[in-house]
Amino acid sequence: MSDSLHVQLTVNGTAREAHVEARTTLADLLREHLGLTGTHIGCEHGVCGVCTVLVDGRATRSCLMLAVQADGAEITTVEGLAEPGGLHPIQEAFAEEHGLQCGFCTPGFLLAIHELLEADPDPAEDTIRDVLGGQICRCTGYQSILRSVHAAAAKMRATRAADAHA
Amino acid sequence: MTAHTPKGLDDLPVEEPRWVGRRVRRREDAALLTGRTEFIDDLVLPGMLHCAILRSPFPHARITSVDTTAAAALPGVTAVVTGVDAQAWCNPTRTAPDGWGTFCLATDKVHYVGEPVAAVAATSRYLAEDAIELIEVDYEPLDAVADPFAAMQPGSDLVHEDKGTNVMLQRVFNWGDVDAAIGDALHVFTESFRWNRVGANPTETFGCVCEWDPMSLDLTVHGSIQSPSSFALGRASELGIASNKVNVKSHPHGGSFGGKGGARGATITCLLSRKAGGRPVKWTEDRTEYLTGGGSQAWDRHYEATLAVDADGRATALAVTLVDDLGATGEGFGAISAAKPLAAFTGPYTIPVARYDLTLVATNKLPASPFRGMGPPPHFFVLEQMMDIAARGLGIDPAEFRRRNFIQPEQFPYTIPSGNEYDSGSYEEVLDTALDLAGYEDLRKRQAEARADGRLVGVGVASAVEPGVFDWSAYAIVGMPQTGVPEGATVNIDIMGNVTVRVGFSMEGQGQYTLVSQLVADWFAVEMDAVRVVALDTQSAPPSFGPGGSRLGVAITGAVLGACERLTARMAAVAAGLLRADAGDVELHDGRFRVRGKPGAEMTVAQIAGTMLARSDLLPPDIDPRPEATYVWTAPDRTAADEEGRAKSYLTAAQAVHVVMVEIDAETGFVEILEYALADDCGTRLNPVVVEGQTEGSVAQGIGVALYEEYVYDSDAQPLTTTFMDYLLPTVNEVPPLQKGAVVTPSPFTPLGAKGCGEGAIHTTPAAVMCAVNDALAPLGVLAREVPAAPNRVWNLLRESKERS
Repeated sequence: MSDSLHVQLTVNGTAREAHVEARTTLADLLREHLGLTGTHIGCEHGVCGVCTVLVDGRATRSCLMLAVQADGAEITTVEGLAEPGGLHPIQEAFAEEHGLQCGFCTPGFLLAIHELLEADPDPAEDTIRDVLGGQICRCTGYQSILRSVHAAAAKMRATRAADAHA
Repeated sequence: MTAHTPKGLDDLPVEEPRWVGRRVRRREDAALLTGRTEFIDDLVLPGMLHCAILRSPFPHARITSVDTTAAAALPGVTAVVTGVDAQAWCNPTRTAPDGWGTFCLATDKVHYVGEPVAAVAATSRYLAEDAIELIEVDYEPLDAVADPFAAMQPGSDLVHEDKGTNVMLQRVFNWGDVDAAIGDALHVFTESFRWNRVGANPTETFGCVCEWDPMSLDLTVHGSIQSPSSFALGRASELGIASNKVNVKSHPHGGSFGGKGGARGATITCLLSRKAGGRPVKWTEDRTEYLTGGGSQAWDRHYEATLAVDADGRATALAVTLVDDLGATGEGFGAISAAKPLAAFTGPYTIPVARYDLTLVATNKLPASPFRGMGPPPHFFVLEQMMDIAARGLGIDPAEFRRRNFIQPEQFPYTIPSGNEYDSGSYEEVLDTALDLAGYEDLRKRQAEARADGRLVGVGVASAVEPGVFDWSAYAIVGMPQTGVPEGATVNIDIMGNVTVRVGFSMEGQGQYTLVSQLVADWFAVEMDAVRVVALDTQSAPPSFGPGGSRLGVAITGAVLGACERLTARMAAVAAGLLRADAGDVELHDGRFRVRGKPGAEMTVAQIAGTMLARSDLLPPDIDPRPEATYVWTAPDRTAADEEGRAKSYLTAAQAVHVVMVEIDAETGFVEILEYALADDCGTRLNPVVVEGQTEGSVAQGIGVALYEEYVYDSDAQPLTTTFMDYLLPTVNEVPPLQKGAVVTPSPFTPLGAKGCGEGAIHTTPAAVMCAVNDALAPLGVLAREVPAAPNRVWNLLRESKERS
């Protein structure tokens, strides 16, 4: 069980490596081996979406993926969304629209929404509901999260438009 | 000393409040949004071990042997504990009712699936889980007690043989002559209802890191703990150590809703630490542990209700019989949930007499825990179905029937038959606001058109009262000791005029640190950023209970304002000395201490604080030079329960009306919510953003328990809902857009007039959704008596209707 395997991956733009057991989950690699505790664990059976991170740009449940499967992958966690000391427009939108209460599920939501808005800058309500349907929040009742997504999309569109002008 | 805290926003010592009562963004959010908040599972201490717990697979069985030899021999395993250790170092857990507890690890038998039998501390969680698989337990299965009615029969198998019965408590409370009122009534309606087990399920399960020194017996528990001070007393009691040796440090946690649980697992983790020589041991409950063995389950109830109504359509008596299946022990304090309806037994109505026939029964299921609302939500589901049944029986519109029975504004403060006093309200105004928002008449037109098309569409109108700011006297009938429920705060100003507030509770999601900052920033006229809120451990903090019972917003407001007031009095005395004025002539206004009638004679808060800290030689004699004050607030004028359980127990009574339109799929029985509008009155809204967030979240939980969520056990008390694949939490696709309206009737009893509002909508949502379901079913002549109204249940009702016709 304790045979250790070498994993090399890129996390939030930085090359990282670790020695893990084959059974170590990606979530435990991030939290316990790499010290990135912003990724939280809610159910460990792939339903709640709390542990969602981006693996090569795709929202992925890090509790259901083994660390060794992420060898060579590019991972984005909540710690990598914005520069230290700053907030990503999605994070800003959540703060403005009260899109979080306890904040435990929030990192997973942020990354799922990040994937959505990178692909679709102006998503329809049904598309948003479809994406968020994989994430459980027990505090907010989702209304403020929906408002946050719309606000974040508007912010990101405005930034893109400004960049295009520059 | 009682502080004369401000009654309204106008009483704050500023020209115009900038923060309190306004839509303020939360100060908690930046750290949460960037993953920087330290939740308990993020905590790593030097030398820390990890706990895994072996749990019973049987609902009821004798333990004939436990062999831990192989587990203890596994490299990396440092300590193993079993029931033998628990008997050596623990007392059985405290319970309500008293005496229905067990040791934290099973000794001679197991009483429910998920009960801890042994536990291991090892160098990693992975290793600890390997080790518990090596523990050999021999069980001799016993017949399980699964049904509370069978459990009450003489000769039933017993969950606890030494008790001689499975009935934990049986009592009838009569508040007035109910039999006479029912006998005199023109209309009497009786129905039975079933509320199945549901529960809190915060996205973060319970976790702790325990350090118990085997020599000094000093115990430190870090954890995701809703009520740190109660938790500390519980561990002292169970572990048999002096209360001043226990220090609990609560971490910010990922929700609780009353059902965080964790007490038993924390006690086990403490035993492991002691056995491991005092090394810190972490236990992070996994989701399946939470669902089958944690604080996850509440309200397993069988109801019968009678409502008497006179010729004018006024309800004259309410009788409720409740058989509540509390599961195997009283350790989860689920019994409190059966007692709490006394605080709002007759809801928002002027029903003059009432009866509560209450039976608490033990079965071989998980011990019941509290859940948001603590007990009234199922009670109001029953009361509101009875109100609709009566309205239909009398041919009165359900909104009108409620209007006719509402307590009127001039009747407050109003004492209900079960003894609690409501502070204030304007119930018709709330009703009208909700009906307007919903477009009630239009909904009825749409419903008529849909019915003409053969569709099953219903509209529900329900109202409920949310008792806020609890006092333990509410729970006297289930044997809870009548202690007060304090909340304290220490306010300190530094030499630069920055303010630090020390409190005894951690962040849980309701924005309380933001509220504290709003209050202090407005009191001393500083920026929100000048205020820092620090959570202290139980050995350092002022007396505190923390969130619970819709209390903390009101209670911490009282504590912070009380401390600000005391500190201001001390600083005014200093200012008087420095400004050569009488202390009585000095007042704080917009951040300056000024002398009345002497323009220009003033000093800033920072100048006074700086003088106190750095120039004690300039201070008046006998004055405490620290610019710091503590105040501990408790709900005033609460009374102990009388022999019938009647007490003034909750300080505030918020009220709400919800209007819901649903459609039932005639083929599948699936209930879809088409429209949702609500109005509520929780007094002064200290931060409307947070109040609305609590309401929206509580509606979602209410929809979950009304339509989707249920802990299912088979007939042998084996749990069938052990993952989130089985226990269905609402997602974004199950929660409709909400229209929300507010009425503000300030409480005359609380600082700034706020009422408790954290538990909120779950008091009303399940009732309103079920009223709508039954309105949809009414033409078919069937009644949905059971929650959740899952498709299989509704489909059976549809079939019943077809077979009948």
